[in-house]
Amino acid sequence: MQITSSIMPIKSPFEASIAKPGQGNVVLSLLPPSNPTLTTLTYKYPLKLLTRTPGYVPQSSALSCPVSRPVHLYLLTYGGGLLPGDHIEVTIKLEQYTRMVVTTPQGTTKIYKTEPSKSIKGRRAPGRVLSDKSRQTLDVRIEKGAALCYLPDPAVPYKDSRYEQVQTFTVDSTTKAPQRSSLCMLDWVTEGRKSRGENWDFHLWKGKNEIYSVDESGKKKLLLRDSLILDEELDEGSLEDEHETLNRTGVIRERTRPHGIVGTLILYGPVFERLADFIMDRFTSQPRIGARNWSSSAPAAVEAPPNFDSKVHFTAARVRAGFVLVKFGADDFQTAKDWLGNILREEGTVVNEFGEEALCCL
Amino acid sequence: MVTKSSPRDLEKEIFDLEDRLQNAKTRLALSSGQEPGGDSYLPPPPYQETDSLLSSHALFLLSDSALPLGSFAYSSGLESYLAHNKPLPPKVTPVASFQRFLKLSITSMASTSIPYVLAAYRHPEDLETLDNDMDASTPCVVAQRASIAQGRALLGVWERAFRGTYASGPFLAGVAAARAVKTVEAFSDALKSCSDAADDLGPKGHFAPIWGIVCLIMGMDARQTAYVFMLNHAKAVLSAAVRASVMGPYQAQAILASKDLQDIIIERIDREWNTPVEDAGQVVPPLDLWVGRHELLYSRIFNS
Repeated sequence: MQITSSIMPIKSPFEASIAKPGQGNVVLSLLPPSNPTLTTLTYKYPLKLLTRTPGYVPQSSALSCPVSRPVHLYLLTYGGGLLPGDHIEVTIKLEQYTRMVVTTPQGTTKIYKTEPSKSIKGRRAPGRVLSDKSRQTLDVRIEKGAALCYLPDPAVPYKDSRYEQVQTFTVDSTTKAPQRSSLCMLDWVTEGRKSRGENWDFHLWKGKNEIYSVDESGKKKLLLRDSLILDEELDEGSLEDEHETLNRTGVIRERTRPHGIVGTLILYGPVFERLADFIMDRFTSQPRIGARNWSSSAPAAVEAPPNFDSKVHFTAARVRAGFVLVKFGADDFQTAKDWLGNILREEGTVVNEFGEEALCCL
Repeated sequence: MVTKSSPRDLEKEIFDLEDRLQNAKTRLALSSGQEPGGDSYLPPPPYQETDSLLSSHALFLLSDSALPLGSFAYSSGLESYLAHNKPLPPKVTPVASFQRFLKLSITSMASTSIPYVLAAYRHPEDLETLDNDMDASTPCVVAQRASIAQGRALLGVWERAFRGTYASGPFLAGVAAARAVKTVEAFSDALKSCSDAADDLGPKGHFAPIWGIVCLIMGMDARQTAYVFMLNHAKAVLSAAVRASVMGPYQAQAILASKDLQDIIIERIDREWNTPVEDAGQVVPPLDLWVGRHELLYSRIFNS
């Protein structure tokens, strides 16, 4: 930080807003006639933001208005994950009628282990031994007619890690259906590194996804909140004693059984309407649980051919305000990835509107 | 020594101190030569006891399983859980499997709803916002239906049965309760005038916040409010278990009476005692799946 300021003779007026490590700020505007341009792009270590406009032009779209080219934003961190104490804070603004694809090209977001810091341990500050949580916030404003497709890789929390993420999306509520903002976002978390025998062995994983609407007067209203808290519920009082080893409570494992990965997909707005219908159909047309063939002449129950849907437990619901909320749980990452990738490719909206690359994590 | 200051500990301490005071007064009376009562009649209960009897009366009403909320039409995901875990692994008995579900269900109910119950109790004026946020946080239509049906039923019971006695005061909870009566009235009017369309974002009538505010008006203390909410949930799940032939009624009562159940309810309430509603969330992710997939069951005896 000091080096930067010594090189730059004139202080940028924007510097104050990006002074903190891990902060990033992106504004995507549509310049006339139809030219998506990043009017702001700043970031600071350990965060790195790369963008690319692949030149993919949607040939047909669910929107009737002219469609702009999607711009890709890659969320990168040094080391492909978050170290204890890292705070990533990304703010994105999609101005009217722009489109953005956000992915994580480094693969899964690794949440590294939180070591109790020696100096803090020495002082024996109660409740501080487990501090150094890593944290990520994403705050996206999606204006009228704009669309965001955010399909990242899952988070992989390592053993003993502590992590919290808050993702806030603000959509425009003043416009009516065909001009509404559109959002497709995926949030999933795995049990850890399965190859190393990790099985929900982290201390804390908190993920909150909130969608607000804002009207002309700037008044916010909560439309949807999806909050998952996986907490080992360690007794922090007992950590004051340096020699005491942490007793694993195993409650996260107990509360996630039988799944090795759980996730949420949220769909909103005109661009994803068809995809939302497709998934709702897929859910309601699943075979009934516990169904039997009562006709006496029928042969013994025929085992249904194994397909993705039978390996993944999922539910889809049209909750409110036009949102479709999909929740799923599966044995492992690969199963969930195959299942979701298969649905999104078969239906085609994401590829049509944003290009094949939007599915790069699936 | 660490000074514990949770409300439960303080209540206990006050009780202890009062007990010692009473004891000392009796001994004083004895040593000064007076007969403690003069006769075998008990002294009239002090004023505070009448007060706590009044709040006990509300407690008995609200914890009564005959309270017409329709809670027993819902299994809170139990029916779906049983179907998803069939057949059970050879070493797991149906009762053990149910015990696991009950624990998960209580834990999840506490983390998602207790913050709303307590927020409505502490800040009754926020009822409409709490109702909206609860609606936004309920991830599936099955759970939404169950919560709304019970919330509206409680509102109905309030209007048709409790209001006559409790709306005019005197309020054990003071001014806050008097204001809460007005809030409930306004909320109920708004609920009646709003359409039932899915896209409508008007008031819905979720159970947890309405429970909190009604308990406040009726003079229950915050701990009782949270405890009875959780106990009623446990009762509903156990009752569903009996009707789903997981166990018999005596076994269900035994679980309901058990120290384990009391402990887990208290532990979960303590944990969520200061959780702001923004941090309420699901701690048992498969439960959302079981509840949501209830609609996929071939045969159903419950609404959730």
